[in-house]
Amino acid sequence: MAVKADSRLIRDFLPKLRQTAVLRVIAWQLLIAILLSAGLILTSTLPIGSITLWSIIGAVFVISASLNITTVIYTTRPARDLLAAIINVAGEPTTSTPPNPNDKRFARSGLNRALQTIYELAGREDGQQPAIVDDTAVDQARDNSDPLKSALDDSTCGFVVLGHDRSISYHNKPAPVRTNQDNIQTLSLLFNGADTIDAWLDECEQHAVHAERIWTRIPDRLPDEEGRRFFDVIASYDKGSAHETVLTLVDRTSVYEVGEQELDFIAFAAHELRGPITVIRGYLDVLEDELGSTLQDDQRELFRRLTVSANRLSGYINNILNTSRYDRRHLKVHLNEDTLSGIYETIRDDMELRASSQNRILSVSLPTDLPTIAADRASISEVLGNLIDNAIKYSNEGGAINVTAAVKGDFVEVSVQDFGIGMPGNVVSNLFQKFYRSHRSRETVAGTGIGLYISKGIIESHGGTISVRSEEGRGSTFTAALPIYSTVAAKLQSGDNSNEGLIEHGNGWIKNHSMYRG
Amino acid sequence: MAINSILCIEDDRFIGEMYVRSLHKAGYVVDWVVDGNDGLIAARNKPYDLILLDVMLPERRGTEILDSLRGGSEDLIPNTKVIVLTNFEQDDESRTAMQQHADAYLIKAEITPRKLIEVIQQLDTV
Repeated sequence: MAVKADSRLIRDFLPKLRQTAVLRVIAWQLLIAILLSAGLILTSTLPIGSITLWSIIGAVFVISASLNITTVIYTTRPARDLLAAIINVAGEPTTSTPPNPNDKRFARSGLNRALQTIYELAGREDGQQPAIVDDTAVDQARDNSDPLKSALDDSTCGFVVLGHDRSISYHNKPAPVRTNQDNIQTLSLLFNGADTIDAWLDECEQHAVHAERIWTRIPDRLPDEEGRRFFDVIASYDKGSAHETVLTLVDRTSVYEVGEQELDFIAFAAHELRGPITVIRGYLDVLEDELGSTLQDDQRELFRRLTVSANRLSGYINNILNTSRYDRRHLKVHLNEDTLSGIYETIRDDMELRASSQNRILSVSLPTDLPTIAADRASISEVLGNLIDNAIKYSNEGGAINVTAAVKGDFVEVSVQDFGIGMPGNVVSNLFQKFYRSHRSRETVAGTGIGLYISKGIIESHGGTISVRSEEGRGSTFTAALPIYSTVAAKLQSGDNSNEGLIEHGNGWIKNHSMYRG
Repeated sequence: MAINSILCIEDDRFIGEMYVRSLHKAGYVVDWVVDGNDGLIAARNKPYDLILLDVMLPERRGTEILDSLRGGSEDLIPNTKVIVLTNFEQDDESRTAMQQHADAYLIKAEITPRKLIEVIQQLDTV
């Protein structure tokens, strides 16, 4: 509340008001008595020493003063009742029972509506019913709140209130809430990777007093489950409040379902593109092989450029396909024990060709004694390809690109460093968003802006993290951290039911990661 | 057992010719059929060392062909290796099923003829 701190209590207000009013009444009556006696004396109606004079003056004073004081008390009685209700609602210590709006005298005077309004206002703010002792009053209070409750339940929006311990203290019917066998309610929302409500609340608890956050296109179920709905989730956080987090879930299924079909279309189109790409890459391979000895150097360079371009195109198609899968929560990573150098080996030729045809000096030094990691080979090679491709794009002719790796805690970190144009800090924070392109790169470098988005998605699906350090004009370093195999092996093996050493962790992994447990 | 004879079941003419041409050059003997029925018949009638199997095929899908050859109680082609080649993104279930019966499962767009030959040579050494 924005009111200045005031140590006075509400309950002290009325006695003081009454006291002042009584004093004023007495003062006025005294004045009237004096004027009356002066009049009587001056007009010589009664002599100054007569007992009758003083008896009359005294009687008038006493009678009118007591009548007026009674009137004061009578007229401040509604104020007393209203204040009693307010004192009770405000939670001040008091021995008085709160006035019951159903009391006959209130019904007669019409004050019942005013009392009811106070209780309703208080109930709305606190989310709890006022402490009304009388049973019929409780019933009526419930009846009066029913329209609100049923309106909320009929709404297409979900409302969920979470307490400080993040348990669900209220939810209306449309909210996607599940109750498990132990009768614990959980919010069933599948967030995107690590960007969950839990993660946000963790951050809020540390850094925020008030915070708001909106997530869009959050489904409550996996793609193939029936009755799948999509929500825009609006969360507001208010530290210390009894209802710390309030979630509003706007059902946007009708809008996003169309989007789902578009994503299907994108996936389909990308498959179609793969046919011609197979032919282009294949025939280039065949031609280079067969014509190799007859080609002149500059012609060979043209061939290399064709090959590099076809390879990049193929990489972008994979990015598009994986992004469409990721956005539909369809992206599956098949985690196997693998080595970083083994993964890089699958794209080495391609990367070296790309770097050399664009005059970049690519130096890759991956220590051979690194521990094995839990990785999906195709996905991680796609990420490495994206990072190296970016480094080529955003560096200058003749620039060096360093790929290194090291162990850090339970993770193997692989870094791709360039000495190119770099980025200012405000760009860095948006970098991993879909379709994000920095202002300058939009003008100078072609691209779709999904490479880093899907790279982040893939790395996080592995249980890893991706980050960037950059300085404008100095270059950037992207670092992806992947879990060391031995740290996750037990977890992976216990959760899988596949054979032949193929450790799979698809939706289950993503789902559990994002499931909100209240 | 060295791989010498190869059956290529592939309905795309450009892609089929590409594989046949480079495999020929690399010294393999290649038969090429374009539809699924012919593919299954050829595979059952002649003992090939290797089958290159597409998934999206006319008449009979690659999944069905592999299932009739290896899905039953008896492996009808015990001396033959199978490489599944596809650009089609299958759902996980059928993909896993195919992977169980195949020796390799490759995305065509990712594989140039040179790389395919490398994979065949790798299978040869196993």
